[in-house]
Amino acid sequence: MSLSRYIAALMFRRSRLRMSLTAMAISVAITLVCLLITMPVALEHILSEAASMDRISIHHQAGLVYSLPRSFVRKVRAVDGVDAAIGTVWFGGVVDENRGVPFPSFAVEAEHVSAVYPDYGIAPEHQAAFEANRNGALVGQRTLDQFGWKLGDRVTLSSTVWPVHLELQIVGLIPRKNSPEVWVNLDYLDLALQEATGEGVGEVGIIWARVADPSAVSEAIQRVDAMSANSGAETVSETEQAFFKSFFGSLEGIVGIILVVAVLVGLCIVSISLNTASMNVRERTGEIATLKAIGFPTPRILFLLAAEPFLVSSAAGVIGIAVAYFLSLVVSGLSGSGEVLGPLASFTMTPEIALQGLVLSLAIGLLSGLLPAGMAVKRPAAQVLREVS
Amino acid sequence: MFLAAHLLRPCTGLVDHQQRGLVMICVDSVSRSYRSGGEELLALDGVSLEVERGEFVALMGPSGSGKSTLLNILSGLDSQTAGTVVVGGQDLGQLDEGQRAAWRARSVGLVFQFFNLIPVLSAWENVALPLLLRKLPKAARRERAEVALRIVGLSERARHRPTTMSGGEQQRVAIARALVVDPGLIIADEPTGDLDARNAEAVLDLLRVLKSEFGKTIVMVTHDARALSYVDRVVHLDKGVLVPEQEAYLPEAHVTRAIGQELAG
Repeated sequence: MSLSRYIAALMFRRSRLRMSLTAMAISVAITLVCLLITMPVALEHILSEAASMDRISIHHQAGLVYSLPRSFVRKVRAVDGVDAAIGTVWFGGVVDENRGVPFPSFAVEAEHVSAVYPDYGIAPEHQAAFEANRNGALVGQRTLDQFGWKLGDRVTLSSTVWPVHLELQIVGLIPRKNSPEVWVNLDYLDLALQEATGEGVGEVGIIWARVADPSAVSEAIQRVDAMSANSGAETVSETEQAFFKSFFGSLEGIVGIILVVAVLVGLCIVSISLNTASMNVRERTGEIATLKAIGFPTPRILFLLAAEPFLVSSAAGVIGIAVAYFLSLVVSGLSGSGEVLGPLASFTMTPEIALQGLVLSLAIGLLSGLLPAGMAVKRPAAQVLREVS
Repeated sequence: MFLAAHLLRPCTGLVDHQQRGLVMICVDSVSRSYRSGGEELLALDGVSLEVERGEFVALMGPSGSGKSTLLNILSGLDSQTAGTVVVGGQDLGQLDEGQRAAWRARSVGLVFQFFNLIPVLSAWENVALPLLLRKLPKAARRERAEVALRIVGLSERARHRPTTMSGGEQQRVAIARALVVDPGLIIADEPTGDLDARNAEAVLDLLRVLKSEFGKTIVMVTHDARALSYVDRVVHLDKGVLVPEQEAYLPEAHVTRAIGQELAG
């Protein structure tokens, strides 16, 4: 008999049910921890992918629900350091008025799209068609897939903000990965509103400006905000990344809670596996005393006792990580076609998170192995033998 | 040189015999006390004893007389608070706990009342357990375990787990485990205490064979009167001291005395 055979015998011939249940508990917990840690990382990824550092958002100081005069867009374009600017208005378009807001839709100044969003990679012919057709619309790939639309299709979008229904023709694609957006022409909305209510849009919600030199963003921001100082519509400008971060500000609290939950889950499994390992060691008190009596040195007994929980925890950890990875792929895959999970397209477990999960499971194995085993081997064999007999 | 220095320690006049290899155990004025509830309890009080090589000795005495304490000291599981213990030429007082464990692994075979087999291991795996401490090839370990099982007459039960065996068979497996490292000394703590009469006799027979055919020195704690006809010598302990045989507690005498007192009273 070899040492490995002895350890295997102790593991697989003893309480297999208990070992399986413990392994399952650790697996589930490691899966949870990995998925929980993935959330903030995915959020960070979403922000860094979606946001640019050389684009700034300019909106009313009082909040996003307040508008800025449309004329202010022209002033922004004239600011030193600003290359291009575009006014945008939340359109809130829906295909079916009873189905809520399935995608973010904005009315934008069509002729400034390519200058402000060169990184979006909109095809020049699509951009040209968008500028040339007042009723043209640029649509994200995900929304095209969702409704089975294709270029050239005519669709009607009803606004949930304005009292208009726009007859649109899809003239181009917003080719960003998983983009759900729909952009319509601001002039077309303005015209439709004038026809419907006698008044045009007149104002914009957010102005996006692209600066010439990314290293001079803060100066450009200061100049823009200084321009509106003491006016009826003072502005707050910030980089696109900062804007998204503050827009998702409430998520930071959620991220904090997620991390706390992850730590608590980790502590729970440490306690569970420590308890199980203690029970295991307690049941083997006589065996430990016998090994000592036979002449096994303390470090060898410690190794034999700690090997089992360590191996169980490590194996369970690997399974947990694999399950978490699989689930993250499923969530990420579903988000490509689903309405609700869109932002989770980046929900992919990174190798770093897998490594963290593995380190956690190894630490649990070491703790739950060495702690009770260390306490057990300290007891004198003669005393234990007397007790067990 | 180290060994010689220890062998020269006085040990009830048997130093010469030890040097000639005649004495296996030499216990000189050994005491062992424990602290319990703030009090000092004396489990052994100046015990001196010699056991020759190849001798089969029974230690008898009532509960709490110090038999198990003496056995634990002889096997290196415990250490004395005073006196000298030399076993097989090794002064145990000079060894720390780790060294005593290593010495025990190669020099002593232990047999317990409740067998203390590992339930998840088969008979041969239990027997081979002490060999994990030896640098032996796997095949050699297996072969030695099989030989030990053959000696105790359990070759055909090698693959069986202890839970499927009778008490007598389990104790024979435990004896095979004690034998497998070929120790000079076998220490048995009430090896028949948990067995019926037939199995108890089989175990005692086996121990006698180990003494007579394999030259093992055996020290056995027992309350079993049957053991008296198997051993070379009986050593009586009472309240931590050795007592002469006529004053000693014997199980039958104890019962007879108790019945007599009952009838008289």
